[in-house]
Amino acid sequence: MNWYIKLTLVSFAICLITYTYHLIKIISRGKPKDFSESIGNVGSAVLYSFTRGMSPKKKESAYLHIPTYTAGMIYHLGTFLSIALFFLILIEVNFNLKINIVLSVLLFVSGFCGIGILIKRILKKELKALSNPDDYISNLLVTGFQLITAIHLLFYTPVYFIIVSIFLLYLPVGKLKHSIYFFAARYHLGFFYGRRGVWPPQNKV
Amino acid sequence: MTVLTKTNIDKGLAILKNTQDSKLITNLNSCVHCGLCGESCIYYLTYKDPRYLPAQKVDLITSIYKRYCTFIGKNIPFLTNAKDLDEKNLKEMVDLFFGACTMCGRCNLHCSIGVDIAYLVRTGRMMLAEMGYIPDTIQSTVDASINTGNNMGITKEEFIDTLNWLEDDLKDEVNDEKARIPVDEKDKNILYTLNPREPKFFPLSISAMAKIFYAAKESWTISTSMYDITNYGYFTGNKEEASIIVKRLFDEMKNLNAKELILAECGHGSRAFRWEGPNYLKNKYDFKTITSVELIADYIKTGRIKVDKEKLKQRITLHDPCNLVRNGGIVNEQRYIINQIAKDFVEMTPHGIDNLCCGGGGGQLAMSEYNERRMAIGERKADQIKNTSAQIVITPCHNCVDQLIQINSYYKLNVQIKTLAEIVADAIILE
Ligand code: SF4
Ligand code: SF4
Repeated sequence: MNWYIKLTLVSFAICLITYTYHLIKIISRGKPKDFSESIGNVGSAVLYSFTRGMSPKKKESAYLHIPTYTAGMIYHLGTFLSIALFFLILIEVNFNLKINIVLSVLLFVSGFCGIGILIKRILKKELKALSNPDDYISNLLVTGFQLITAIHLLFYTPVYFIIVSIFLLYLPVGKLKHSIYFFAARYHLGFFYGRRGVWPPQNKV
Repeated sequence: MTVLTKTNIDKGLAILKNTQDSKLITNLNSCVHCGLCGESCIYYLTYKDPRYLPAQKVDLITSIYKRYCTFIGKNIPFLTNAKDLDEKNLKEMVDLFFGACTMCGRCNLHCSIGVDIAYLVRTGRMMLAEMGYIPDTIQSTVDASINTGNNMGITKEEFIDTLNWLEDDLKDEVNDEKARIPVDEKDKNILYTLNPREPKFFPLSISAMAKIFYAAKESWTISTSMYDITNYGYFTGNKEEASIIVKRLFDEMKNLNAKELILAECGHGSRAFRWEGPNYLKNKYDFKTITSVELIADYIKTGRIKVDKEKLKQRITLHDPCNLVRNGGIVNEQRYIINQIAKDFVEMTPHGIDNLCCGGGGGQLAMSEYNERRMAIGERKADQIKNTSAQIVITPCHNCVDQLIQINSYYKLNVQIKTLAEIVADAIILE
């Protein structure tokens, strides 16, 4: 086995262990112990939180910012695709050239969305004021991960494994760990609004 | 001013290190700095200043969390902008958490992730409370509650006197010498609460509710020693003081042995007692607690009171109090009631759980140092009201009434501001 593949496997193991640590922390602490008398249904509210409550029609962060929202969605899809491809590459699954070209084009598009989001962060005064080095590093690593995956599909390169290793090591460190906490945040929001009968919105009277 | 000591800092940090459940660590680790929450907040909409982005409030508390509770923040603070809990940041915390957030929670719904921003602001206020950094103005309201039993410092004699003349008025109004405002009576169905603004400034809203109880032939009472539903301890973040206030009302329920506690038209008071109270006391209530809005809707639905459907000819609009609606789930009851009385009811845009805060929430009305800001952010509500062309604005919250009255005069809206009980009492058909 090549050293760079070993490096990737070690990074992956570290990433997995750290992610498991965060997951255990969330699960072991559990949901809030609430003594108030619920007037709603937590289960339906949590479901709503992960479904209709996330709809772009419901959130100003989406419908007032369509270009950013669209770029963000494509960017996230590109990340999921890159992660799926990472596992396939590790177990040496190969596609034919046509499929590789299609996948690469998709990843170039999502990667460019990432670059667009980065440029917006640099240029927009509110975003610049809010940003810290972690925001820039996270964007560069995710964008780099997508672009190098696109290149690697067309021209095998060991650089892919080095960039993926850095990405994996950084994943549980900075804001990228929202990939775990996002789910917990939506759960808690559903729990809160569900107990109080706010979500799912309904005509009660 | 409080002197910042190591003990103080540790007290504040203890709030951040809370491991009771996963809600706090979740929210402290979830914001991705996308900055898309600005347009959901009345402060940012008003000032367009990056400082007022909800995300900046999140960042302020998370940056302190990172500095003291994460490996990277402790060792490479620059990377995640981890900040020390020092005088400079404390000043910023006071200004942003107390002076630039009504804890309305509108940003929660619109955040791209689902960060509970209002909860983090509340956590920030709890830290400040532990460290002794609560603004004096709002603290004096809490002190009045603790020391006198109500936040306006109304004496028992004054209160009884007010109830006596309101009872005389009620007798005239319903033309029945037996009509009463029963005080301190045991074993009634209902113990009714008040916002002290009512006996102090709006006594007619007490008569309105008394008339509704009279028409419904309800068995009810008011306590003269603990009637105050407000709880500014909830706003200051001081759990002990908030608990004392909740416990007093809880004890009075037990003392008078009423079956149900009815929460007056007060958004934060309802929230503090109904939703936060059991958690302050770490105990479930063994009596029913509902808002007067739910009670009135039920009276109409079940035919216990009859209302004149033609009563209100003017155009009506409704302001949804954030604590009652978005944070309390009372959305449709007030609409049901209004639709029974008003011919021309127009909703504001947005409304319901997506409503805009009037600007008086989060204890803003008790902090005069932020008056100018409070009036500025009220412009959104003024615009919403203007756009409906309504002549009457109804809101089931006395704090909102106060802010809306000030907005009305400041932005020259020329509307009437009323509570739900007032319009229902006006429309009641006595049999
Ligand atoms: S809770 Fe309300 S006032 Fe506070 S930041 Fe969110 S939207 Fe703004
Ligand atoms: S929308 Fe939510 S995730 Fe984005 S910056 Fe605002 S608080 Fe953070």
